[in-house]
Amino acid sequence: MKGQPLPEATASLFTANPPRTPIGPGTGPTPLPMRSIRPPSAEPPKKVAKFAAPRGEGTAKMSKEAQLSIAERDFILEALRENVRVDGRQPNEFRPVDISFGEEYGHVKLQLGKTSLVVRISAEVTKPRDERPFDGLFNINLELTSMGSPAWENGRSNDLEASATNTLDRVIRHSNALDTESLCIIKGVSCWSIRADVHVLDYDGNLTDAACIAIMTGLQHFRRPDAVVKDGRVIVYGVEERVPVALNITHKPLSITFHTFNESKNVIMDASLKEEQASEGDLIIGLNSAGELCYVSKMEGGPVDPMLIVNQVSKAWEKAKELNIVIESVLRADLTKRAKAGMADESRAENDRLMATE
Amino acid sequence: MIGPTASLSHLHRADGSASYKCPATGYNILGAVNAPVELPGRRDALKPEEATVEVFVKPGTTTAGVGERYVEGLLRSVLGKVVLGREKGFPRRGVVLTLAIVGGENIERGDSYLTVFPALLHAGLLSMISASVPLSMTFSATLLGVTKSGDIVRDPSPAAAKAAVSLHVFAISSKNHLLLNESEGRFDFDTWELARQNAVTICQGSSKGSDGDVNMEEEKNASGNGFIRETVEDQIYSDYVYKLDSI
Repeated sequence: MKGQPLPEATASLFTANPPRTPIGPGTGPTPLPMRSIRPPSAEPPKKVAKFAAPRGEGTAKMSKEAQLSIAERDFILEALRENVRVDGRQPNEFRPVDISFGEEYGHVKLQLGKTSLVVRISAEVTKPRDERPFDGLFNINLELTSMGSPAWENGRSNDLEASATNTLDRVIRHSNALDTESLCIIKGVSCWSIRADVHVLDYDGNLTDAACIAIMTGLQHFRRPDAVVKDGRVIVYGVEERVPVALNITHKPLSITFHTFNESKNVIMDASLKEEQASEGDLIIGLNSAGELCYVSKMEGGPVDPMLIVNQVSKAWEKAKELNIVIESVLRADLTKRAKAGMADESRAENDRLMATE
Repeated sequence: MIGPTASLSHLHRADGSASYKCPATGYNILGAVNAPVELPGRRDALKPEEATVEVFVKPGTTTAGVGERYVEGLLRSVLGKVVLGREKGFPRRGVVLTLAIVGGENIERGDSYLTVFPALLHAGLLSMISASVPLSMTFSATLLGVTKSGDIVRDPSPAAAKAAVSLHVFAISSKNHLLLNESEGRFDFDTWELARQNAVTICQGSSKGSDGDVNMEEEKNASGNGFIRETVEDQIYSDYVYKLDSI
């Protein structure tokens, strides 16, 4: 089953919005990429405070990310034409990834350039769904608050939240990265419900990939309490009583997001927020280290050459392998650290474990 | 007892931010403030001459529920009084405070939300300071639990708070006034008065000895207000270190 391409994947390939203007050689004056089309009467955007909705949109009910100035957009596009990115990265280079862990299992803090988020994995015992009595539950919860960006309103979902949640769901949940059948305790009566909560602290582009890396790291790092069935009753042992159990991960998919520029002549990985705003379209590829593709989406923006997608898949594969190696090394480092600390705890003379369980 | 730790202004996008960690209860709170912001909805019909304080509490591993709404209401009423919403640039605007509980135990439905409340208050206040929101005063808060034997415990752990007969949260302003009082459980007035006196000592610190002499032995950090002050002092010191070097 694993890595099987989903029907949606192929569907979303072909249902990409048809271009409103034909783009290609010999079609008269070079049309602007779709995103940069502005009404001709619009004066150049004034310097708006980053939190304020642009003036003139008096009826706007939603805050918006401050628009890129024309100069900034041109600068980014012109630089890309010369194969230079504003922050000096290569087209297929991620910003530095920094993963650290909290005290509890499954608490991951990820920093990808200036994008930063915290993922917490938690488990609780619940009743499985009636139609799937053998399956446990797994949910990914991404809620954007105004902590990440002043443009996001608290308690109100926006487009980015919807699309990021959908992508994460497809890449991780629907590709069966976490084996939900292993979460079953008693058929139809009780099972584990695993929940991944994503808290976005700082947003500077590429939320999906960052969240995907953090969730996959969290799932591999998380240990759930051991549960045993005795005489039809479920006994959940505390972390002090029994060694907690790691989750059953079937494969390790990661999403890699590309953004296209200059009529898809320039394609870059891991765009920063400004690059995202200047881009004409995106392409998200979800695949695991074995190169099994589980998600392809050409969600919005200008059209791209089909061959480009094929080429980008191999680049995404390289990157996914690279990132998975990074994840594995930080996991290993953390687990050896924990093992040492655990041994030190056990060889201590004081007995504080009784106090803790009183 | 290990004191709390806090740091200011570590997020890039928010106007002000703070993280606050209380080792006694285990909670780790991240706060972010955006102010003054344009509120998209026309929500200024009530008090157009003042800023609207909005508070959002995001629990760590669940979706927000009744408990969060309750504690948001408390925070909004306290901070709404402390924030000087009539200062220049603030009327008709919003002060949006977001608090995420990124560490510590999950508060089950039906459990008291008071255990995390002081940490939320501190994180909120420090974020406000970090965002340079004009405030009429600072404050510090403390959680006190009364055990079955009548002892008053400072900052009880979630398990101890569950076993406590009554829980009290006090916020004491920098001018030594009682700013907020939230209590839960069964208690009589004497117990409450005892708890209040305890809270005043915890928040204000007993820098003055009985004979009126300043106690030099006691470190300033021991009091809640002193902790807030020192955190901000440290931040200002590191912000202006380039000036110190150039003198």
